Amino acid sequence: MDWTTILRFFRGPFFVVSLLIFIGGMTYRLVRVLLLGWSRDRVKSRGSKAMGVLKSYAKGVLVLPFIPWVKRTFGNNALTYLAGGLFHLSLLTVVVFGTPHMLVWKSLLGFGWPTLPFPVIDWLSAVGIIALVLLLINRLTHPVLKLITRAPLWLNWILVFLPFVTGYAMTHHLCLRYEVFFSLHMIAVDLLLIWIPFGRISHFLFYFFSRTIHGAQAGKRAVNP
Amino acid sequence: MDEKTVYDHLRESGFSRRDFMKFCGLLSGMMGLEFLPAAKLLGAAAGPSAAELVAGALKSKPRVPVIWLELQDCAGCTEAVSRSQSPSLVNLVLNKITVDYQETLMAAAGFQAEAARREAMARYKGQYVLVVEGSPSVDADGVFCVIGGKSGLDILRETAADAAAVIAVGNCAAFGGLPKAKPNPTGARAVSEIIADKPIINIPGCPAIPEVTTGTIAHFLIMGALPATDGLKRPVTFYGHTIHDHCLRRPFYDAGKFVERFDDKEARAGYCLYKMGCKGPTTYNACPSLKWEKGLSYPVQSGHPCLGCSEPDFWDGGGFYKGQSAPVEQPTIAAAGISAGVGVALGAVLAGANSVKKRKAGKPGASGPDESAK
Repeated sequence: MDWTTILRFFRGPFFVVSLLIFIGGMTYRLVRVLLLGWSRDRVKSRGSKAMGVLKSYAKGVLVLPFIPWVKRTFGNNALTYLAGGLFHLSLLTVVVFGTPHMLVWKSLLGFGWPTLPFPVIDWLSAVGIIALVLLLINRLTHPVLKLITRAPLWLNWILVFLPFVTGYAMTHHLCLRYEVFFSLHMIAVDLLLIWIPFGRISHFLFYFFSRTIHGAQAGKRAVNP
Repeated sequence: MDEKTVYDHLRESGFSRRDFMKFCGLLSGMMGLEFLPAAKLLGAAAGPSAAELVAGALKSKPRVPVIWLELQDCAGCTEAVSRSQSPSLVNLVLNKITVDYQETLMAAAGFQAEAARREAMARYKGQYVLVVEGSPSVDADGVFCVIGGKSGLDILRETAADAAAVIAVGNCAAFGGLPKAKPNPTGARAVSEIIADKPIINIPGCPAIPEVTTGTIAHFLIMGALPATDGLKRPVTFYGHTIHDHCLRRPFYDAGKFVERFDDKEARAGYCLYKMGCKGPTTYNACPSLKWEKGLSYPVQSGHPCLGCSEPDFWDGGGFYKGQSAPVEQPTIAAAGISAGVGVALGAVLAGANSVKKRKAGKPGASGPDESAK
């Protein structure tokens, strides 16, 4: 079997199956969280929940990335904070504003958007890869992190790292032919899609839940989130 | 075998010595002989230049007879070769040097044509090169493509049996092409799936670039063997790089400047066609370097995205104008809905079961952590 055929399979039927597992899995996770139940709110609100939510997001987007020392995590382990932040910036920018990725979104959603030049995406990809390696080293050397890291977390790292590194190698024509790395990239992405609902990477969705709820609670109590 | 050498034939055609040396230089350059291990084997490393090597071969070797079959095809590859304006190479290789049987180009027709094929086969047994254009059909014993009362499949097998080598020209012959596109009603196959016991090379394209076709025949003529190939049996000399690698619009790709519609100002400015579905990054062919019509242009230069016509199954590749990176298939709305529905149902059922369990655990008399704590 040649790589063109392999590529077609992982861009075609296997991608469809992976995406359907992702959709079904994430819907399941969402329903389970929503049906955990809500305790009745018996306390009178002392402030605005909406304002609390707004402040919570403003802090998440504007304060924490640029004034990180307000958070204790930064003081405790600046490397984790910076590498983690840069990795997330890289991931979101590359996946949303990289031209090839936008075309994937366009084929799924029916509409597209302007994208960033290749060198920007390229450098950000490199930043993402370096950040992931640093995070791995940190996890391997930090005694507490080492203790609490189990197999699913290592799998998280591998399944996020592989699409990055195969995508980078593909665009730079490193070692192997383009379609070989493209196939490996697609295999990695498909496996990641399947894995996301089962692992902690599902926080891409639940992050918004927690920030909204914590913001609302803080707003109700008239304290800063 | 004809005793006259290629050089003799060329001299009879009015070629001067200077024309001949220019022709040899052209051939060696086009085939990239300087870089081929085969050239070293023939002594290029020992002294003579690649052009001299070609000249030596053409002066000493007899012409290579070619039988050109057309099966399920549109004759586009023949059209491309016959209408090519490229200087000397196509005309000389195909018209003066080699072709003994070519259904579209030959004057004979019907029984006479078939008799000519059989005669050429008998005369040059084991020495001729078989060029196949179009895909053989295997369903219903090949009844979908019958020539002179014989199926194309039988003709292919019969003619390939005594061939020295087989050259599958065009995407149809190389990979099945349009006839093999879903739902493949005739059971079209690649020639390499039918003929397994002969040296075979693929020259895919829709149509194949004429200079690549003739260059490969010329390679066989000069080296006595087919050129080195990649994993899809394509000559690496011509299919070693992607369209994207040598694309003249590549700087615009790197700069993120793309055509968004065929009639926008970016299209008129010659920006990158990637967003218009260009398959250049995954398509190996020599279009950007050889081009067409005396090197005038090629599709991407003319403003049309690459369709990926030298790759297998390009007709079923997910849409010519859809992004090259986009998935070949997408889940339908219904499939996504069903998947989400299963997720909701499963989540609700398990959440319900959990709730019932919790309620039971909370009732007086029920055993559970709370009760035992009391």
